[in-house]
Amino acid sequence: MLKPIRLRSLLRSRQSSWNLALLLGALTLFSAIALLATSGWFITASAIAGLVISSSFTFDYFRPAALIRLFAIVRTAGRYGERLTSHHATLSLLKDLRSQVFQALTLNKNNSLKNTSSGATMHRLVADIDRLDRFPLQFLAPWIWSGLIVVLYILFAYWLQPQLALATSFGLLMAWIIIPTLGFIRGRKLAFHDVHTAEVRREHFLESLSLLTSLTLWHTWDQQQQDTLNADKDYQTQHHQQRQLISLLTLLQQLALALSLGGLLWVGVFLVNATLISVPWLLAAALALLGIHEALAPLASSFIGLGQSQAARDRINQLIQAQESTAQLKAHSDTPRPSAPFQLQTQQLSACIPGALNGPKHINIELHSGQVLIITGASGIGKTTLLKVLANTLAPNQGQYLINQRPATDWQLDECIGYLPQQFDIFDRSLASNLRLADPEATDEQLWQVLEDVALADWAKQQNGLDTALGEYGAQISGGQARRIALARLLLAQRPILLVDEPFAGLDSASSHQVLKALRQRQAQGILIIVSHHEMDTPDVQRLHLA
Amino acid sequence: MVSSVNNTLEQTEQQLKRKLRQQLKSIITPQAQRLHWALIAAVLATLLFIGQSWLLAQLFVGLLDSIHTGSELSAAFDLRHAIALTLCFTLRPIAQYIRERLSQAASFHARIQLRTRLLNTLSNLGPERQTLGSDGVLSTQLLEQVDALDGYISRYYVQLYLVLITPLLISVAAFYYSPLAAILMLMTAPLVPVFMILVGSAASRSSQQQMAAMSQLSGRFLDWVRGMPTLQHLKATALAQHDVDSSASQYRDTTMKVLRLAFLSGAVLELFSSLAIALVALYLGLGLLGILPWAKGITPVPYAGALFILLLAPEFYAPLRQLGSDYHAKAEAEGAIEELLPLLEQHTWQHPGQHPLLLEAAPAIRLENLSITAHNGRIRLPKTKLSIAAGERIGLYGESGSGKSSLLLALLGFIPYTGHILINQDSLLDLRRSDWHRQIGYLSQQPNFKRGSLADNLRLAHANATDSQLYQVLADVDLLSLVKKLPQGLDTPIGERGLGLSGGQLSRLAIAQLLLRDTQLWLLDEPTAHLDPDTSAKIHTLLEKLSRDKTLILVSHQWQGLHWLDRHLDLHELHTH
Repeated sequence: MLKPIRLRSLLRSRQSSWNLALLLGALTLFSAIALLATSGWFITASAIAGLVISSSFTFDYFRPAALIRLFAIVRTAGRYGERLTSHHATLSLLKDLRSQVFQALTLNKNNSLKNTSSGATMHRLVADIDRLDRFPLQFLAPWIWSGLIVVLYILFAYWLQPQLALATSFGLLMAWIIIPTLGFIRGRKLAFHDVHTAEVRREHFLESLSLLTSLTLWHTWDQQQQDTLNADKDYQTQHHQQRQLISLLTLLQQLALALSLGGLLWVGVFLVNATLISVPWLLAAALALLGIHEALAPLASSFIGLGQSQAARDRINQLIQAQESTAQLKAHSDTPRPSAPFQLQTQQLSACIPGALNGPKHINIELHSGQVLIITGASGIGKTTLLKVLANTLAPNQGQYLINQRPATDWQLDECIGYLPQQFDIFDRSLASNLRLADPEATDEQLWQVLEDVALADWAKQQNGLDTALGEYGAQISGGQARRIALARLLLAQRPILLVDEPFAGLDSASSHQVLKALRQRQAQGILIIVSHHEMDTPDVQRLHLA
Repeated sequence: MVSSVNNTLEQTEQQLKRKLRQQLKSIITPQAQRLHWALIAAVLATLLFIGQSWLLAQLFVGLLDSIHTGSELSAAFDLRHAIALTLCFTLRPIAQYIRERLSQAASFHARIQLRTRLLNTLSNLGPERQTLGSDGVLSTQLLEQVDALDGYISRYYVQLYLVLITPLLISVAAFYYSPLAAILMLMTAPLVPVFMILVGSAASRSSQQQMAAMSQLSGRFLDWVRGMPTLQHLKATALAQHDVDSSASQYRDTTMKVLRLAFLSGAVLELFSSLAIALVALYLGLGLLGILPWAKGITPVPYAGALFILLLAPEFYAPLRQLGSDYHAKAEAEGAIEELLPLLEQHTWQHPGQHPLLLEAAPAIRLENLSITAHNGRIRLPKTKLSIAAGERIGLYGESGSGKSSLLLALLGFIPYTGHILINQDSLLDLRRSDWHRQIGYLSQQPNFKRGSLADNLRLAHANATDSQLYQVLADVDLLSLVKKLPQGLDTPIGERGLGLSGGQLSRLAIAQLLLRDTQLWLLDEPTAHLDPDTSAKIHTLLEKLSRDKTLILVSHQWQGLHWLDRHLDLHELHTH
């Protein structure tokens, strides 16, 4: 359903903005060059006319003067307009990309994102999206502009005298195509390595800092510090090489342009002596050639920009493709939903998280709507693993997991199971908007009621009420509070089967009982399973102690 | 009232600016030589440009004369001129290339030096660094903020001088032909600093705003992406998608509003350089025609001078235009330095002692009137008295803020103190710190591991430990049976921060590291804080078995399984006032 991102098609959706930006940029460059050329032509022609007193009054200076003013104005206004339109187009591109990538990520159904990719990968994804704008800005636009300008110049020189076109085109083509292309292979390679070495360096620094105290005590810090600084040097050197390559290409470009100018003047002097071309026109051609430098200079770094965008595109596509294949698998099975009353059953169920050493073994559970199960046991025994299986996010190794007499995998359980895992997400927004993620229509009264149920209403009143900011990753709240906010959110979603991992962390015994009571009330018609290392002294519940 | 508040605010802002400048200067100073040579190369390039313009003007004067007055071209432009022109055209790009290489090298070395310096500061601070931020924040500072200085060192610094030197040189050259044109140019010169301020403050404000808005938007997007499993579970992806779309549109619209103004200052500079060319051309051209309203019939500037000045005109404002586009480099560098300031200004304290220390048995430790004060004068630990006998094992309890962490830092020799810490009979301040560290087994709240095998991580504590020694300590901490079951045994890789092992297993592994050090004194800083009560009780029992005959100080909140300690002390009750 989602096509991989292609650099070429990046611009299609905003074609008109980009076209305008490209047009204005080309006009600006053209005017800057033409301004110089016309000015040179004008004063030389004036000088010639001034030599003969009578002709200085017949010399038409209005038209060139008007042209000079026109070019000066177009250059100024064009630059301003170009910057505005290209920024508008870039920001729009950024918006489209974010939207597109986000949509691709939402299609991934099996929650594997957290397992397959760490926060660092996500960080890189965001940076990569930002990096894609280098393709139009640093690669495409400079090549289009410089191509236009070079072709126009050669046509102009040809119109003056074919020999002039011949004399200048060698140096021009060198500076325009051959020299930047020389940098292509090396520049691309350097750009592709960029992110990798940056990543290695970051890992080194993070690891070193976390080990700093121990290694200082153990007298092995010096070695570690040296390794870290070497990783830094690797990255810096790599980066340095990119810059050196750009400088070198710029130098070669300038020399090629100088060669072209040399050719122009050499041939020009002979043509003037043979009166095949007038001095003002030769000067105009020379000044225009000097001005072309501005159009060609960005090409030196264009391939680095291209390489960086290509590398970024590849990484994003990899991520999207991985998501997509899993999404397709799930989409094919158009499965039915179970309906109340519910029965949840495991038979001799064993499971293990990949890479973990142990997990729950031979578990037998049978629960019906209205029943509560409390799972206890020492940490590391596999309580969380068991809950994962029950939430249908982990396949059991052995045994059966049945819902309403059919294997859980045969059901569409999305809107049936509510699961508060060990790791959950609190978003950097207000308390109310975090809660309303589960039910956008919820009234303030409903929010306060659910906060009351998870023993957070008093806390919220002391804070900023429903508008309390929760900070990035819920940084401004304790772990237990964050857990209960996530629980409250889940309660608002009203799922008939509720699986909760450690809801009582950080609560005293009285509050724990209050929360448990509220949970039981809300799940009176459904199933409630709680994992806790607290011993909860409460009647009428099934208990499962893992050992 | 209000104005005085504003004044003090302004003053502190100015103080901050001054500090930032000083810090930037101190970072650049070691590279001053490279940067000066880069500036010289840039000035040389300007001089070559002036020479090249003059020679080109000579060539065209010669051509014009040879056509219209019949004189020889070589009278104005001979072979020597041609060679000089070729040299100018070749040497100018080379001078610019040298400038770039030199300033890039300066930036490269300056950043490596700064990073080394900061890493040294952090290692001197030891665990004390946590007052400056989490390791994640610190590593971002060391990486991103230091790299943010690049543009300032490699482009902006030289450009700042060039913006003053280039217009001056060009005016002087123009003066020779047309004092009027030169004076006109110089009269616009005072505008240069005015425009620097105008362009500068507008650009820096808008670029800062834009960067802030951008990072806010990125953060929000990242927040949603990271929480994807939760969003999917709550069926809230459409809501988030809508937020992503609308906030990006909103960001675009507000940014465009800011940019519309910011680009104006750039457009003004563009206008100036266009006008410089256009006006000079019109003035000189009409002058050559002899039809200037105030100078009818005379030629104020001859053709040679006119062409020369026209050729110079584009370069007059070029450095300023460049500076305008590099200005964000300055804003970026100042922002980065501001972030780094706490780290840069950190006074690292060096443990002074030089006396060797060799302990044969568990030491006695006495704290006499020990107090610890922070740099800002805050008291981190009030006067405290404590005496621990050789081989005694004590538990230390204290509310947060009572100074337990500071006490441990002082015992480790990472921070200065007043009063005395006596190890047997020796004052800690007299002892060589590395010798003292050899005697300490230190365990903090977070066991530290790196990516590598089990054996690699154990050998961090004791590089030359044999496999049998490793098996021995693993047996001591009851991990041997588990390790034996692993297919790769000691070579089993464990991830960053010990990924793949449970909290209790990681604690055991950290204790195994301690055992490899075979020290006489153990300082344990809440080693079980992150474990559940059952597991921490088990770890405590294990510690009892392994810490016999050692002096032990254990700071903890959880007391299950710690009945074996000789004494339980509340730090608060040890304060002597």
